[in-house]
Amino acid sequence: MSIARTRNFCIIAHIDHGKTTLSDRLLEFTGTIQKREAQEQLLDAMDLERERGITIKAHPIAMKYKAADGETYRLNLSDTPGHVDFSYEVSRSLAACEGALLIIDAAQGVEAQTVANVHLAEKQGLKLIPVINKIDLPNADIDTALKQLEDILAIPAEEAILASAKAGIGIEEILEAVVARIPFPSGKAESRLRALTFDSSFDTYRGVVIYTRVVDGTIKAGDPVKLMFTNRAYEVKEVGIFRPQLPKFLVQDQLQAGDIGYVIANIKSSVEVKVGDTLTNSRLPAESPLPGFQEVQPMVFSGIYPINTADFEGLKAAMGKLQLNDAAFHFMPESSVALGFGFRCGFLGLLHMEIILERLRREFDMDIIATYPSVIYEILKTNGALLKVDNPEQLPDMSVVEEIREPIVKCFIMIPNEYISPMMQLIMEKRGEVKHTESLDTKRVMLTTELPLNEILVDFVDKMKSLTRGYGSMDYEQAGYRAGPLVKLDMLVNGERVDAFSSIVHRDKAEARGRALATKLKEVIPTQLYQVAIQAAIGGKIVARESVSALRKNVIAKCYGGDITRKRKLLEKQKEGKKRMKAIGQVNIPQEAFIEVLKTN
Amino acid sequence: MISHLYAHIPFCPKVCPYCSFYKEASDRNKTQAFLDAMLKESELHAGRLRPVTIFFGGGTPTALSTPQLQYLIGGLRQRIDFSAVEEFTIEMNPATVSLEKAAALRALGVNRVSMGVQSWDPGLLETLGRVHSAAQARRSYEILREAGFDNVNLDLMFGIPGQTLAQWRESLIQTIALQPDHISAYCLTYEEDTEYFVRMTRGEYRPDETLDAGLFEVTMELLGAAGFEQYEISNYARSGRECRHNLAYWLGSDYLGLGPSAFSTLQNERWKNVSDTSEFIRRIASGEGAADFREALDADTRKVEQIAFALRTNRGVPTSLLPTDKAAQLVAGGLLREESGRSYLTQRGKMLADAVAEDVI
Ligand SMILES: Nc1nc2c(ncn2[C@@H]2O[C@H](COP(=O)(O)OP(=O)(O)OP(=O)(O)O)[C@@H](O)[C@H]2O)c(=O)[nH]1
Ligand SMILES: C[S@@+](CC[C@H](N)C(=O)[O-])C[C@H]1O[C@@H](n2cnc3c(N)ncnc32)[C@H](O)[C@@H]1O
Ligand code: SF4
Ligand SMILES: [Mg+2]
Repeated sequence: MSIARTRNFCIIAHIDHGKTTLSDRLLEFTGTIQKREAQEQLLDAMDLERERGITIKAHPIAMKYKAADGETYRLNLSDTPGHVDFSYEVSRSLAACEGALLIIDAAQGVEAQTVANVHLAEKQGLKLIPVINKIDLPNADIDTALKQLEDILAIPAEEAILASAKAGIGIEEILEAVVARIPFPSGKAESRLRALTFDSSFDTYRGVVIYTRVVDGTIKAGDPVKLMFTNRAYEVKEVGIFRPQLPKFLVQDQLQAGDIGYVIANIKSSVEVKVGDTLTNSRLPAESPLPGFQEVQPMVFSGIYPINTADFEGLKAAMGKLQLNDAAFHFMPESSVALGFGFRCGFLGLLHMEIILERLRREFDMDIIATYPSVIYEILKTNGALLKVDNPEQLPDMSVVEEIREPIVKCFIMIPNEYISPMMQLIMEKRGEVKHTESLDTKRVMLTTELPLNEILVDFVDKMKSLTRGYGSMDYEQAGYRAGPLVKLDMLVNGERVDAFSSIVHRDKAEARGRALATKLKEVIPTQLYQVAIQAAIGGKIVARESVSALRKNVIAKCYGGDITRKRKLLEKQKEGKKRMKAIGQVNIPQEAFIEVLKTN
Repeated sequence: MISHLYAHIPFCPKVCPYCSFYKEASDRNKTQAFLDAMLKESELHAGRLRPVTIFFGGGTPTALSTPQLQYLIGGLRQRIDFSAVEEFTIEMNPATVSLEKAAALRALGVNRVSMGVQSWDPGLLETLGRVHSAAQARRSYEILREAGFDNVNLDLMFGIPGQTLAQWRESLIQTIALQPDHISAYCLTYEEDTEYFVRMTRGEYRPDETLDAGLFEVTMELLGAAGFEQYEISNYARSGRECRHNLAYWLGSDYLGLGPSAFSTLQNERWKNVSDTSEFIRRIASGEGAADFREALDADTRKVEQIAFALRTNRGVPTSLLPTDKAAQLVAGGLLREESGRSYLTQRGKMLADAVAEDVI
């Protein structure tokens, strides 16, 4: 396909505005999939995506489209996730494209993530095609959506295409607009190879699969190539394009400037490939690499530990494989007194963390526990030294601490006018400040606020959503550090501090949180041979206590000859069950305890 | 030589709603074929059998008529060397006892009887769906004594739906007053394939762990004070009256089981006969093996069993077989007692015997 007839675009929107559903329609209309074989939200292929109804990974797909002008075009589409935690996925997809479909839910209008994604796309110079989706809904308000498009995003309303991904309205118009409005890629096939690695995955038999956007030059099987950052050389085994269904990889003779596709080059280890690296021909190397990506900095940290110490190496390998497909996930070994050897992991947000934990459990069958999530604190010591701490355990003795500073985020909250006062109250509860209020139109305001990151991690979004009946949305960015009266809250089980449960919290909230945690732990720790004492402590002072009383009776009455096998199997089964719990001292703590503690606020 | 022989008689006058032992309501048409199958099965093993203890269990062995019992036991005597037998137990349901039958059994060499009284409370006997009254049980006990049995066990159950601590205490006192040689006091277990289990899942019956623990404590207390030694979790005996057959199971000896659903353990092999009387008869008649489950027991498995079961007895286990740190923890926690190289369950340990066993295996 000639470069003039190639179009690379992604689909961006606020969460749930219909990106993946629209992708289904585009795939069908272009004949990339047959309508009858299609299942809804086809591109959400991971179990987790299907269960939660959200997109987690960006999905590139190659389509062929015969346009009204009679020409056949190669359209490379990339569906992207809408959730804030995955905006890094969006920006990497954008880097591989020249344009984007901006979807706006006609009933919801412009939301916080719409704004954020538009900014991302504009920064990269992409051509935007606005699509007002879900016009079939009875409560669709097209006029308001169009007005918001102009007022909030400064995009002319005439450019918008009215569509319904569900009812299949406007699909052809969208495809024609892609062809007509999005510029073709600007690279030169004759230049030396420069291909951007924007993602990768791992195949057990073939090693690393590099997802690439060829910017200049061509690449084909047999070519000697190297990654410019690591300077490692390989021989290309296969190149091709992406398909929505099995086989997901379709072999091609070559990829050339403007193409999006994959490269397999016998790369055995996932650590060799860095997302953002430039692939060039090692015999005729490019002069300079492509700009690549700004490294994303994780915002949330947690220790992940195998329940059985023997699984440490297995967990490490599993994390390596996940990281290959998720460049925003960071991990490095650490050890804990209570939990043994594990990994300190960095995530973009709590949903990201949940997803990684789930994937480790499901895809790699790992029995793991996670410590209470933490942000990065700055500790100013009395001797003037500044320390960064992403684990409450590293907090130095308070006698040498001058102050603790916590990360602050600038949070943009869009809500209908009538919810301003409960929203203000929530912000106060979360120790935030409203810096600026701006009317977006007659119905909506945007609150620019500053909040401690720590406070919005766990349940802020849920609360905001519920008090605005789903009409509120938010987006945030880092905004420096601020000193505050923070203390370390510890949980003790039978007098032993369990570092997994430790957290750094505001002084005024510490006691209540300690009590809530103690109550929760009492609920989830099963009765065992001995009584279990649960305590919450702030700096050595006990602020709450609970206890799980010991088992009273656990003995089968009758054991005659025949029962011996049955009885032994029962004991062995119970013993197996225990292995799935973390033994801390004499106390067995089930995995759920660690999950429940995450949810306690 | 195998020193312990079990024979399973799968018939009962009426099937109790809590019981999961393999049994069926007595069926006259099948009985003769069953007895012949038992005798034929015994022939297969006769060469390596020289029982010291014999146990006729069930089901209810005395659901068989006196002539049938004579046919079976007499037949076994002809096939197997009975010269070493020291203990020969038969289980009875109080509704199946007569002086004539008791005398005949004594004449056949039976010297120990285990009778299922369960409770002396008419309401609870009703709850249990028992076919006999309390008075009938008392009368049957007297008959056994009249017939000359000087080694009698009574089975009792606690944790019966609706049973109070006071009722249980009373049942124990009445039992002690009869001066049996042995008492088995079982906490009711809701076995999966029973009507009781269904009722529990429906919420009609609610097992109460705390009450059960209290009932168990009273049992240990009263029977201990009356001079019974608790030589196993649920078994109490006057001195010299422990059931040697059951002890053999618990201490890991080999045994052979005849009849449907019977287990056998010989060195590194364990098998179970099919739990279906007609199928058992058919297999034996056609010369097929009656076993439908087999497992090889390696040294580790036997060790696990030995610890788990011996721990339930007053023989205890050698401390050296237990993981050192766990044993120390259990001793410190008041669940185990250590004495000259052996470890024993304490009173609280007995209430948690399964959890302790699981901890140390
Ligand atoms: N009525 C109506 N519903 C739609 C339309 N398009 C999508 N939906 C529904 O909106 C919900 C979200 O659709 P998705 O396609 O998963 O949205 P998304 O933007 O991919 O969501 P994320 O990937 O989580 O950001 C689903 O329940 C869809 O069925 C539409 O045109 N009309
Ligand atoms: C085979 S029966 C004894 C003889 C006779 N079949 C009878 O019931 O009188 C064995 C004993 O096991 C006990 N038993 C049966 N089912 C039980 C259960 N579900 N829980 C506890 N003990 C049980 C009863 O005490 C019963 O007497
Ligand atoms: S308890 Fe005894 S009588 Fe009742 S069914 Fe079980 S074996 Fe038969
Ligand atoms: Mg989606």
